[in-house]
Amino acid sequence: MTFRDTLDLAVRNLKQSKLRTALTTLGVSIGIASLAGMVSLGVGLQDQFVGRFTKSGMFDSINVMPGSVGPITFGPGGGRGPARRPFGRNAAAAAAQAQSQSPTGEVKEITDETLKELAALPQVREVYPSLRVPVEVKFGGDSEFNLAAGVPMSVKDQGAFQSIPHGRFFAGENEAACMLSLDLAKRMDEANPAGLVGKELTLNYASSTGADSGIPGTPSNVKRGESKCTIVGIVERETGPFAAAGGVSPLMIPMPRAREIFHASPQAALMLARDPARTSRPYPSAVVKVTSVQATQDVEDQIKKIGFSAFSLNDALEGAKRAFIILDIVLALIGSIALAVSSLGIMNTMVMSILERTREIGIMKAIGGSDGDIRRIFLIEASAIGFLGGAAGIVLGWSVGRVINLAANLYIQRQGGTPGNLFSIPWWLIGGAIAFSITVSLLAGLYPAARAAKLDPIRALRHD
Amino acid sequence: MGTTTVRALDGVSLTVEEGEFVGLLGTSGSGKSTLLNLIAGLDRASGGSLRIFDHDLATMSSMELSMHRRRNVGIIFQSFNLVSSMTALENVTLAMMFAGVPRGERETRASSLLESMGLSGRQHHRPRELSGGEQQRVAIARALSNQPRLLLADEPTGNLDSRTSREIMAVLKDLNEREGKTIIMVTHDPGLARQYAHRTVTMLDGAVVDPSEVPA
Repeated sequence: MTFRDTLDLAVRNLKQSKLRTALTTLGVSIGIASLAGMVSLGVGLQDQFVGRFTKSGMFDSINVMPGSVGPITFGPGGGRGPARRPFGRNAAAAAAQAQSQSPTGEVKEITDETLKELAALPQVREVYPSLRVPVEVKFGGDSEFNLAAGVPMSVKDQGAFQSIPHGRFFAGENEAACMLSLDLAKRMDEANPAGLVGKELTLNYASSTGADSGIPGTPSNVKRGESKCTIVGIVERETGPFAAAGGVSPLMIPMPRAREIFHASPQAALMLARDPARTSRPYPSAVVKVTSVQATQDVEDQIKKIGFSAFSLNDALEGAKRAFIILDIVLALIGSIALAVSSLGIMNTMVMSILERTREIGIMKAIGGSDGDIRRIFLIEASAIGFLGGAAGIVLGWSVGRVINLAANLYIQRQGGTPGNLFSIPWWLIGGAIAFSITVSLLAGLYPAARAAKLDPIRALRHD
Repeated sequence: MGTTTVRALDGVSLTVEEGEFVGLLGTSGSGKSTLLNLIAGLDRASGGSLRIFDHDLATMSSMELSMHRRRNVGIIFQSFNLVSSMTALENVTLAMMFAGVPRGERETRASSLLESMGLSGRQHHRPRELSGGEQQRVAIARALSNQPRLLLADEPTGNLDSRTSREIMAVLKDLNEREGKTIIMVTHDPGLARQYAHRTVTMLDGAVVDPSEVPA
C-alpha cells in the first residue's frame, strides 16, 4: 500500500466524521496556540530586551583604556613621559620605581595610531576616543565652565539620542553645532528651554595657539581658543554610566571639534615638549564598537591581547540571555498543559473511531489489509489532525497575540512608553509548532492504532 | 479458571483439487465456517496442518497470512461486508490498494469487473443504494479483483431471496467453469449445494461426516 493511498484513506475517514474531526482539531489548535503563544511571548520579550539594549550601545561597545597601568603613583617619574632621574636619587631606585609603574616596561597608550590598530581588528565597526574637554560656555551675558563631550555621528538614533525632544542630531561631523542636556538648557533658560534651539553659543578653551588668554597670572603659552556653535538639539536623558557609548553630557559637540580642542590644549603642547618622540597627546580612553553583539567577547579578548585594558557589559547580557532561556522553558511548559489535554482528545477520538469502524477494519483485513496497513491508516489520521491543528493553532495563537499586543501597546503608550512587539512568531516557531503538533498527535495515536491493528478480523466482522 | 476448551474442528481431513466447486454443508455450530476462516487465513488452527497451493498456513506469520488473503483467496460473505461509506467502485479498488496495484490500473480493472457483474451503471452507488443481489455482485467483483485462484463463499445467498440466490449461484458456477476458479462454499441449504457444486462435504460437531448421519 503506497503512502498516497494510505493518506487518501485517512483523509476520507476524517471527512467521514467531520464534526468529530473538527472538534478534535480545534482542541489541538487551542493546545498549539497556547504553546506557540507562550513561546512567542518569551521570544518577543527577549527580542524587545535584546533589541533595546543593543540599541542602547551598551552591549556592542567595549571601553578601552591604556594598558598595563600599575598602581597609580604620584610624583616625579609619573605621567607618561620617559622616566627622568631626579637629582640626588639613586639611579637603581629610580629605575625600580619606573618598573613598578609598568611591569611590562611599556604602557600601551591610546593615540590616533593605536586607534587605527584597533579599527583594523576583525569584527570592529568603529573606534573613537571618549573625549570630554573642559570649555567655558558663554551665552548672553553669562558663562560657566563645563565639559564638552565629543559625539561621533554613529551614535545618532542610539542610546540617549534615540529620541531628541527638541531639535535634531548633528547634520554632519563638521557642522558648527552643539547639543545641550535638558538640565543645562533649563539652567540657561528656565522658562523656555526649547527656545534655545537655533541660538548661538560661544565656547572658550585653553589653547597653545591663538590669542593670549588675557587672564593675569597664566603662563604666556596658554592662549584663549574660541569656537562658536549653534544649538541644534536638546537631549533629555541624563548621563548614564557609559556616556561615551551614547550617554548625555551637559554639552555635546561633534567629535572632530572635540579632538581639535583636545589636541590644541596646553597640556598637549607640554607633553610634546617633554618627549620629542611623541606626536600627539594620548586619549584617556576609547570606545570600540563591534559589528554584532555576539562578537563583543571575541574582540574584547583581542584588545586585551594587544595590551590594552578593556571591559564590556557582554557578560551581563549573556546572563540575561540565560534567564530568557529559562523563561522560555517555563512558558513552554505552561503552554504544553493545554496540548497534553488535547492529545488526550486525539486519543479519545481515535478510540471512538475504532469502535465505530471495527467492522470496516475487519473488512479491510479480510480483503488483504495487513496489521501494518491498518496501523498506518490510523497513525496518518492522527498526524493529519496534528497538522491541521498545528496550522490552525498558529493562526489562532497569532491572532490572539495581535489582540493582546494591541491592548498592551495601547496601555504602554498611555503610560508614556514606547510600543513594541511583545509577541514574535519567527519561522522556526511556525515550523516547530506544526512539527511538534504532528509528533504529539502521532504519540497520542500510537495506542489506538496498535489496538486497531491487533483487532481479530473474525470478531471485527461480526461487530455491528 | 473455568476456561473450557472447545474444539471447533477435530479430525477434519479434506482435500480440494484445483478447479473444484465444493459445497460445505452442516448445521450452525458444525464448524463449517471455522474451517472456511482457517482456509481464508482469518483464523489460526491450534494444531494440524493446512496446505494451500503448497504453503502451510499453520506456520505463517500474520503478515504472511495477510499476503495469503490478498493474493490467493477472495472471500464472499453472507452479509456482503462492503464498506458502507465507499461506492461500489471504491470497494473493489480498496482490495487492490492493499495489494499495491497502481491507481490507474485499479480503476480500469474494478470498472471492467463491475461491468462483467452487470453493474456498469451502478459503479458510483454506495451499498445502501444497491439491492442485496447488487451488493453481493460488488462483493464478488471485489473478491476477484486480485485474481485469486481460490474463492471462498460463506453463505453467499443467505441474505437473498431465492431468485437472486439463483442468479448469484449462476455467477459463481460461471466463474468456476469459465475461469477455472476453485470455489469452496459454505451453505446450510443442501439443495442449493447439490444443484451447483461438484461435490458436497457435510460437517457435524467439528468433524466431516456422512450426510446420512446428520439428524434431520
